[in-house]
This record gives sequence, C-alpha cells and structure tokens, in this order.
Amino acid sequence: MKRDALAAVALFALIAALPLSGDSYWMRLGTTMLMYGVLAISWNFIGGMAGYPSFASAAFFGLGAYTGAVAQKLGVPMALAWGLAGIFALAFAAALGLALLRLRGHYFAIASLVVAEVLRELVNAATDLTGGGMGLNLPIPRLASVQAQAVFFFYAMLALAALAFATTLVVVRSRLGFGLRCIQQNESAADMLGVNTTRYKVAAFMLSGVFVGVAGAIYASWLHYIEPPDVFDVLYSVKAIVMVLLGGAGSVFGPLVGAALFLSLEELVWRNYLQVHTGVLGLLIVLLVMFLPRGLMSLRFGVWGRA
Amino acid sequence: MLSLQILANGLILGGLYACIAAGFSLVWGVLNVINILHGSFIVLGGYLAFFAYSIAGIHPFLAILIAAPLFFALGYVLQAGLINRMIAAPVLLTLTLTFGLDLMLSNAMLVAFSADFRKLILEPPLGVLSLGALVLPVDRLSAMALALALTGLLYLVLARSRIGRAIVAVRMDREAAALMGVNVRRIYAVTFGLGALMAGASGALLAMIFPISPLVGPVYLGKAFVICVLGGLGSVPGAMIGGLTLGVVESFGALWFGPEHAVTLSFTLLIVVLVIRPSGLLGRKGYE
Amino acid sequence: MKRLFAGVALAATYAAAAFAQDTIRVGAPLPMTGPLSPEAVKQQRGYDLWAEAANAAGGVRVGARRMKVEIVYVDYQSNTPRAVQAAERLITQDKVQFLFSPFGSGAAKAASSVSEKYGVPTIAATASSAQVYDQGYKYLFGTFTPNDTLTEPLSDIVRRQSAGVQRVAILARNDLFPLAIAQEMEKSAKKRGMSVVYFEKYAIGTLDHASALTQIKAAAPHWIFATGYTNDLVLMRKQMADLRLEAPVVTMIAAPAYQEWIDSTGKLSENVSSAAWWHPAVRYSGKDIFGSSESFVKRWQAKYGGLPDYAEASAAAAGAILQMAIERAGTIDRAKVRDALAAFDETTFWGPVKFGSTGQIVSLEPPVFQIQGGKPTVVHPAAIRQGELRLGVK
Repeated sequence: MKRDALAAVALFALIAALPLSGDSYWMRLGTTMLMYGVLAISWNFIGGMAGYPSFASAAFFGLGAYTGAVAQKLGVPMALAWGLAGIFALAFAAALGLALLRLRGHYFAIASLVVAEVLRELVNAATDLTGGGMGLNLPIPRLASVQAQAVFFFYAMLALAALAFATTLVVVRSRLGFGLRCIQQNESAADMLGVNTTRYKVAAFMLSGVFVGVAGAIYASWLHYIEPPDVFDVLYSVKAIVMVLLGGAGSVFGPLVGAALFLSLEELVWRNYLQVHTGVLGLLIVLLVMFLPRGLMSLRFGVWGRA
Repeated sequence: MLSLQILANGLILGGLYACIAAGFSLVWGVLNVINILHGSFIVLGGYLAFFAYSIAGIHPFLAILIAAPLFFALGYVLQAGLINRMIAAPVLLTLTLTFGLDLMLSNAMLVAFSADFRKLILEPPLGVLSLGALVLPVDRLSAMALALALTGLLYLVLARSRIGRAIVAVRMDREAAALMGVNVRRIYAVTFGLGALMAGASGALLAMIFPISPLVGPVYLGKAFVICVLGGLGSVPGAMIGGLTLGVVESFGALWFGPEHAVTLSFTLLIVVLVIRPSGLLGRKGYE
Repeated sequence: MKRLFAGVALAATYAAAAFAQDTIRVGAPLPMTGPLSPEAVKQQRGYDLWAEAANAAGGVRVGARRMKVEIVYVDYQSNTPRAVQAAERLITQDKVQFLFSPFGSGAAKAASSVSEKYGVPTIAATASSAQVYDQGYKYLFGTFTPNDTLTEPLSDIVRRQSAGVQRVAILARNDLFPLAIAQEMEKSAKKRGMSVVYFEKYAIGTLDHASALTQIKAAAPHWIFATGYTNDLVLMRKQMADLRLEAPVVTMIAAPAYQEWIDSTGKLSENVSSAAWWHPAVRYSGKDIFGSSESFVKRWQAKYGGLPDYAEASAAAAGAILQMAIERAGTIDRAKVRDALAAFDETTFWGPVKFGSTGQIVSLEPPVFQIQGGKPTVVHPAAIRQGELRLGVK
C-alpha cells in the first residue's frame, strides 16, 4: 500500500507540473488524459475487479454532463453543479445496478450499452430543459482569463483523477475489493461462501459511475457547449475498456498507464493518418485483444501490478 | 383506418428487420460471439447491390444470389482465420475484438465509397398497391416477402440439413456435440459464414428501400440487438417474431409518443425484457 | 516518454513552419469521418477551389508582394470537443494565421472561443444560428444569415401564391440546424395566421418515417415542411409517395439544393420547394477572385463537374472574402485583417457581403427555389427570378 501510494503521489505531482510549461495545447491534452484516466479507473471497479463487462460509462458521462450543465443554466454555482452531477450519477448507478446486475456476460454488456442510447434520446426529447438536439450552451465564466480557465480545468480534472485513484487504492485493500475478486473468479461460489454479491456488485457499479458523472460535468463546463451525441457517445465506454485492457485490468496502475498510452496513440494516429485513423484505432484494438489481453502491466510487473 | 395502416407499415418493416437479425442471432446463439461486424456486413451487401445495379443493371433480387456465396466465404474465412483464436476468451475480449474489426471495416468502406448516401432507384419504379384505404409500397412488400423467404430458408437448413442439425446441436450443448463427432471448429466457421451471408443478402434487399452509407451500420446493429433479446438467441423463428414485434412497436410507438421516441421505445423494451425475461419471448436460456 | 514525443513533435512543427514563411496558412478543421463526413467533402471542395484560384493568379496580394495560400486540414471526427481541440492544434502547432470554422453551428460556436483567445480571424462557412455569434467575440465572422431569413420570404411567397394554404405540418430532424429552422418556420407560419397542425421531431438515424407520414396524411395539411440531411429527405420523399401523401406545397430544407437529392428522388422531386443562402442561378459580380457568380460556377464545373450547391459555394466564399480582407488590409497581421473583415462592405460572387456587429453577415437575400423539370428554379428574389412557384406535389 505504502509503495503504491508513494509512487502515485510522485506520478500525480509530475503531472501537476504540466501547466508550468504554459503551452495551452499540452494542457488541453493533459486535461483530456486525466479525464480518460478517470474513465479508465472508474471502469476498472466494475469491469476489471468485478469482471462485469459494463458499457455504461457513456451513460454516466452524459448524465453527469447534462446534470451539471442544466444546473448551471438554472443558476447553480459551478462547483456545486459538479457535486450535484456526482450525486445524481451515484443514485442512477445504484438504481441501474440493482436492475441490471443480475444479468451476466453479453446480456449485461448490451443492456448497459443501450442505457446510454435511451438516455441520449430522452435528453434529446426534453428540448425545453436541455435544448434537445440543438445542444446546451453553458454560461461562460467571465471572471478569469481564458488561460487561467484552462489551468483551472486542468487542476479540477487532476483532483478528480487523484480522488478516483485514491479510491482504487482503498478499495483494492479492502473487503470490497476482496469480495469483487471473488465474484470475478466464481460468483456462485462467492455467493455460497457468504459474500453479499448484490451489495458488492452494486457498490462497484456505483463507484464506476460517480467519478465519471463528475468528469462529465467538468467536461461540460470546460467546453461551454454540449449536445447529446457528443456526451452520450458509446466510444467513451469502448475507450474506457480499451484503456484498462491496455494497462491491465484489475491492477492499480493499469488504468492510468493505459489511459496515458491510449491518448498518446490517439494523438499520434490522429496527426498522421488523416483518413484512416479510425481504422488504425480498430487495428490497434484487434492487436491488443489478440496479443496482449492482460495488458502492459502483466508484461513488466508480473504480480506486483496486481492488487 | 389509421391504425390499420400503421399496423401494415409495422409488419412490412418487421419482416425486413427479421432478416437483419436472423444471422446475428444465430452467431450469437451458437458461437457466443456478438458480431459487431454484422451491421457493416449489411451495409457492404447494400453497396454490392447498388454497384451491381448501377454498373451492370443487375436487379437487387438477383444481386442476392451473388452476395450470398461471397459473404459466406468472407464470414467463413474471417472466423476460421481470426475470430476462432479468441473463441474461448471472455465475453469482453471477443466483443472488443469484433468492435475493433468493425472500426476497420467501417473506415475502409468510408474511404472506398465515401460517406455520401447512395440510393438505389429502380427503373421503372415498382409502384404502390392499394387495398381500400390501405396503401402498400410494392418494393417494400416484395423485399419483405423475400426477406421472410430467406429467413425461412435458413430455418429449413437448420431443421433439415445435416450441417444444420450439427449447428443446432452445437448451440444446444457444445461438449455433447463434440462427443458425438461434430467438428465444432468447422461448425463455428460455417455458422459465422451463414451469419455473414444473411447480413449481406439482407443488405442487398434493404438497398432497394433505405439509403446506403457506412454510417447506417450501427443503426441496423441496434435493431438486431433488440430483436435478439425479444426473440431469443439462436432461434430463427424467434428472430422472425422479434422482428415483426419490433416493427409494430416502432410503428405504433411513433404514433402514440411521437417519431422521435420510436427508437427509444425499442431500446427501453430491450432493457425491460432483459430484466424480466432474459431468454427472450421465445428462446431457451442462452449462454450467461 | 511524453517529453520525447513533445520534443520530436515540436521539432517537426518548427521545421514545417520554417518552410512555410511565404505562404498564408489557413486552418480548416473538418468532420472527415463520422456522421457529418458528407458535409466535409463539400467544404473541402469549396476551400480547395478557392486556394487553387488564388494561387493560379499568383497568390494573394499582401502589400507589395504575393503570397501563396495553403489550407491545412484536420479531421475532428464529427465530434465537437475534437473540433475545439483541432482548432487549438491548428493555431498553436500548425501555426496557421487564419481559421475556417468547423462545420455547423454547434461546433463553430464551441471552437470560436479558441480563435477569440488567440486573436485569430475565423470565418464560419456553415453557421446560421444567431446563438453562434452571441458571445460578443470580435474575431468570428459568418457567411450565413440567420434562419428566419429563409422561412420569412418563403412564407410570403406561399401566402401570395395561394391564400388557401392554411394548415401546416412540420417534421424536423432532432439536430441543431434542422430543428432550429423548423422552429423558425413555425413562427413564420403562425405570424401569417396559418395553423400548425403537426409538429414533430424524428431521431437522428431514423430509418423509417412511415408512422409520422401516416399521421401527417391524417391531418390533411396544405403545406408540408420537412427538415433533415439528404438521406433523411430522400427517404422521406419516397415514403410520402409510397403512402400517397400529397399536398399543394412541400418544402424541404436543405436537401433539394443538392444534386444528389434530385438524382435520388428522380421524378418525385417535382415541385418540391426549398430555400438556401445561395443558388447557382444568382447573378452577382464583384471584385473577389472569382469575379462573378457565373464565372464561379463555370470554374466549379470545370474542376468538379456538376453545379455547386450553397454549402460548397459558402466555403469558397469564405476563402474569397478572407482574401479580399487581406488584400484590403495589405498585411497578414491578424488584428488588421480582423478590422478589414469588420469593415467589409463589398459585393462578391456570394452576394453583397457586410457583417453585422456580432460578426454574422446581414446583407444576403437568400433565394427561394423550387424543383421544376428536374432543375432548381429560383422564384425569389425578383431580380433573379426564373419562374413562379407551382402548387401541387404528388
């Protein structure tokens, strides 16, 4: 625990130094990377530790984004709106988890994927509240300079990522983490041994939702404009999964490593392969799944990376 | 009278949907693989029909005959060569694998054909059939008839032919089938090939009716999901019932709740059915 | 690892920038992949034609010398946040001097905060919503007038042509522009005392409109107003025919402006009306690089075959306007070019161009047209009218 925590503090301190470079493009990249990190870390709870292939990240992200945005439109101060988004996502994850977590495998995957679609269309339909298909413009804070705003959002995302990571550290060493690993190995056996599988699974699902919801809200404030297809984009769910697979599912540092590497690859591919970058991304995914399904962490660190 | 027209619309649409989903359901039921490529195969079949018609004047009904063997071969090779390596892997990995493959295919089609929507227009147009106050477009009607015939044909293959029985056996119990001498790996490849064949063929049919573009793939896939859950995995009659149900639900849903909710309604139905009865309206308990 | 990336990337960029001293680099983030990719193709063709025309004439006149034009494209995957990122990358990494907005009102608005931050003059070729321009920014300019400039003249003409048009049915795609203009249509109709008997939205990706159209048929409207992208409206027109849905007036925005739609609907396109910000039939002459609407159209046909539609022309216009502003300012200094744009008051092949205080163009008179005999026929404004509005769509 101590070694992991120290390494984590060093890592985050390093990242926190990025704004000193002053380059706002790198800060934008950094903020995006931290957001990806939150998505990956969150997915790790339900997908990596509990072994349930959730595609719900996009649903939580979009829900958080719209909760935060609508709250701000109605006059709620920004930080409070973010908190509200988190609470909303938490409650939604609890309800959804209770309904869906008795499904397994493919069925769970499909149901969680479809939730994002349903939410998107519901948001689309509520034009008066959310702007519907025309998108929602957030009030722009006129207080600080644009540069200062960029720094602010970077640190906001950093704080969220740090919080999510700290939660991972705690969960991994806790009873919840142990229970989740049992569930992943053999749920029926775990159940018979007295593990309250429903409670643990729902807890993991809630954790997979709350940080993502707040990330969505921060994202909406950062961009000042959101529309349903952007924030309820199924690619958020897929990327979260790919990042964790890349880094090593179930491990502590895996999601972060995966997120950083994925973002770098994405940037590189985007810059260099104008027409075919989606295809190249697909190729990377295929290669990853076929040749490195346990992620990078399994390569170098063997057992150490795993909790 | 309005309701009758809406019902007719829904049934016609549903017949087409059934064809879309039959192959997908089979692959899922037998291999336990969700083939994300299915939507893109449908689109590719559509392009085949479109180019066959615009370049060589081949009618889409005939294009199906060309598409069928081509797509079967494509599916067979893809499964035997690539997907089979991952067949024992957890659900997440196979799903992600087909997702990645789909990204590649979709991008390839985008580069090759551009995202402009193509529309296959039949000259002369097939016109409209009027039954009293009911108005039925002939091209949709004939496409639906063909779609149902194709699906029926698939059912016959599964029920009567040797390889069909083998496929069903593998779906019911893989180990037992292997013990009975069935070459499971070959069956997997054949099934995937059949799935691809159905996708390509239905794509060629749909080309007569819907505009074609790589962007429509996910929409077809979404329908296939819902139909599979409604009808049960691996069941061709289930796909038919599921397809018809979905068509009618969407049709009436658009009437009662407004057209923007039609799709939401079908997905909500999916979630509700999953939660209440995961094996679907007709299916047996599938893989978990 | 990240540092290494940064180092290599920066070195490459500096090298590229060093080569680019004598060219004007204009950034163009486009949705080359994803649902909006057909639009990107149109925009790119427009920009490329302008660049080609400018360079063929020796380059843009900047004071005493001439500089060539280079357009730097970046794909933002039809994803608005990526569009913002692309804009920033173009400015900070690719070192473009000027920017064309990403496609559509939403992305244009989102990206405009980046151009404002860096003080980069930006021209939006496809942003019509007034909300895009309401942030008080000084560096954003747009070539589309607000949506009501399309629906108002259209409503007047329909009214004039037949006082019997009373019942209006509206079916809109649930997307930014299609929905916004449908709402303007509702306002325009109600203003003239017409009753809106049906107003529904359909989801993006809808494959079947039969239910909605059946309901519209039951409401027996005189005027059907439908919005969406080309594929939606092709399907819709076909299904209208399938269901024997007919009306005196059928208006679709914006597909009838595109040749693909006319080709795909064949005989069904007859008498469908539409409105757009430009039409190949307009006749303007100006001092821009193309000289006149006719020569622009001719140049387009020579390079691409077929007639240019309003979206393609708008992209080329953005370039032509930028060029004139640079030439008026005599420099590529961003602030001075920005001022030249703000003071712009010239006629171009696109029409009379003058930007209002928000940056959105205020001087256009968008043509209203109808497909007659398979060809778009302009019915308004009177100066370029080619025919009268005909009633009856079967």
